[in-house]
Amino acid sequence: MLSTFASRGLIKLELTRALRNRKFLFFSVIYPSVIFLLVSNQTGTVDGTGLSIAKYVMVSMASFGALTAVLMGNSERIAKERENGWVRQLRLTPLPGRGYVLAKTAGAAVVSLPSIVVVFIVAAVLKDVRLDAWQWLALTGAIWAGSLVFAALGVAIGYLASGDAVRPITMIVYFGLSILGGLWFPSTTFPTWLQDIAKWLPTHAYAALGQAIEQSQSPHAKDVTLLVVYFALFAGGAAWLYRKDTLKA
Amino acid sequence: MGGMTTTAVTATPVVGFEQVTKSYGSVRAVDGLSLVLRPGETVALLGPNGAGKSTTLDLLLGLKQADTGKVEVFGTSPRGAIVAGRVGAMLQSGGLMDEVTVGELVKLACDLHPKPYKVADVIARAGIAQIADRKVNKLSGGQAQRVRFALATAGDSDLIVLDEPTTGMDVSARQAFWATMREQADQGRTVLFATHYLEEADAIADRVLVLHRGRLLADGTSAEIKAKAGARRIAFDLDGEIDEAPIRSLPFLTSVTVSNSGSAAGSGHTIRIQSTDADATVHALYGLGVYPRNLEVAGLGLEQAFVAITEAEEAKQSC
Repeated sequence: MLSTFASRGLIKLELTRALRNRKFLFFSVIYPSVIFLLVSNQTGTVDGTGLSIAKYVMVSMASFGALTAVLMGNSERIAKERENGWVRQLRLTPLPGRGYVLAKTAGAAVVSLPSIVVVFIVAAVLKDVRLDAWQWLALTGAIWAGSLVFAALGVAIGYLASGDAVRPITMIVYFGLSILGGLWFPSTTFPTWLQDIAKWLPTHAYAALGQAIEQSQSPHAKDVTLLVVYFALFAGGAAWLYRKDTLKA
Repeated sequence: MGGMTTTAVTATPVVGFEQVTKSYGSVRAVDGLSLVLRPGETVALLGPNGAGKSTTLDLLLGLKQADTGKVEVFGTSPRGAIVAGRVGAMLQSGGLMDEVTVGELVKLACDLHPKPYKVADVIARAGIAQIADRKVNKLSGGQAQRVRFALATAGDSDLIVLDEPTTGMDVSARQAFWATMREQADQGRTVLFATHYLEEADAIADRVLVLHRGRLLADGTSAEIKAKAGARRIAFDLDGEIDEAPIRSLPFLTSVTVSNSGSAAGSGHTIRIQSTDADATVHALYGLGVYPRNLEVAGLGLEQAFVAITEAEEAKQSC
């Protein structure tokens, strides 16, 4: 298709740019591993999971790193490019509208993969985390694929907020989802009422995917369903906001 | 290109606006606009701020949808023409992608165009070879304009649309820019540009469209526009007390101003006239039996013509 061909140029350039941005790479690739090393020193298991703290935190931090990569970069960049007119300029080219969003998502995905893998390598080499080969592969695949949910959320925020509002909104969503979803502390340490809320958050279901794989189970249907529903919600919202923005531009 | 007029009549119009209207709230930005651009024309779009130039270009490029009426580009929708690679455009409001180099951005534009030119050629033609390795966010205003121009001419488009293309350029950069643009036009392309530099319209365009309050006030060569405004200025001095009435009733006048010339004699007057037929007016002036001194007859600049046309329209609207 001509349109996919046309999108390829932009995808390539977005990837180049993403890999060139050192500050961003540090925060999404190195930072989660650093937190992992700090937290995984404790011995013991996490209540209700039977997983060692190192294993549990490894999945949390891999998910957190992927979340950072796909959510943080895109929302701000899309808002900025809407304002400075780059989005308008692209509309004067044969690039299909979805090509822009596709390129942004691909740019995020190429950063989120190393952020997942680096946490795994650090855990395996420095903290002796051992899993079967299929588990490593399934973990990588599940966490990487699951990050699409948050990539869609990042795009939606980029089209929703603008100017000075986009950073605080992104931060609130990012820290809210990370903490309440149990990526930083197991949500079992929360008071019951908060646990009742947390279990409905996409980040909770996201981390649960990886934990199920570590427990040698297939991901729970409830978590997968929840993620699919959130993805539909975020992607639908992003598409609606995109169309609204196009009419206004 | 001798047969240009004949091809122009038979070919599909490059751009067709048919009774196009676009409002923002209670403001009519474009008000029943109809116009046709024919292949090979270089057309200037003139108008004061708020005349509807940007909205007109946005409608033409499919960035906005008309409330009523029809906009066609090469016989299809604006978006269809863009997807087919027939339109290259540079907008004032068009931003650039940050944190990539100029060369990378031009390569992207070539990648996106269905009929691309070689990246190196596009860069050379836009005169940005020496800044090709520079990051886009480190460019001056004039350099950014050249990069936008490169993006607009990355492929073999049939229509090039430029919105205030020389904003931020110094005089020599502006001249170089128009030389490049003329090459584009000489290859048979249609060029439409909005500008507020009237000398650019005068020097470059075959055809000038004057837009005012979203409507087309004038459409013709710059010579025709000047003629429409009252083609020539006549100025002369008369000594002593004068009777204004016969002067004001001279034929072909569009305006008369009489002022004290402030000479040592104290009673001289300077008369300034605009006339659509200067020869006839001057002939009639001598017929009055007066002795005009320092007689000057000069053509009206496009700028004065433009001001005259829009002011006349303002006056019509306010009464």
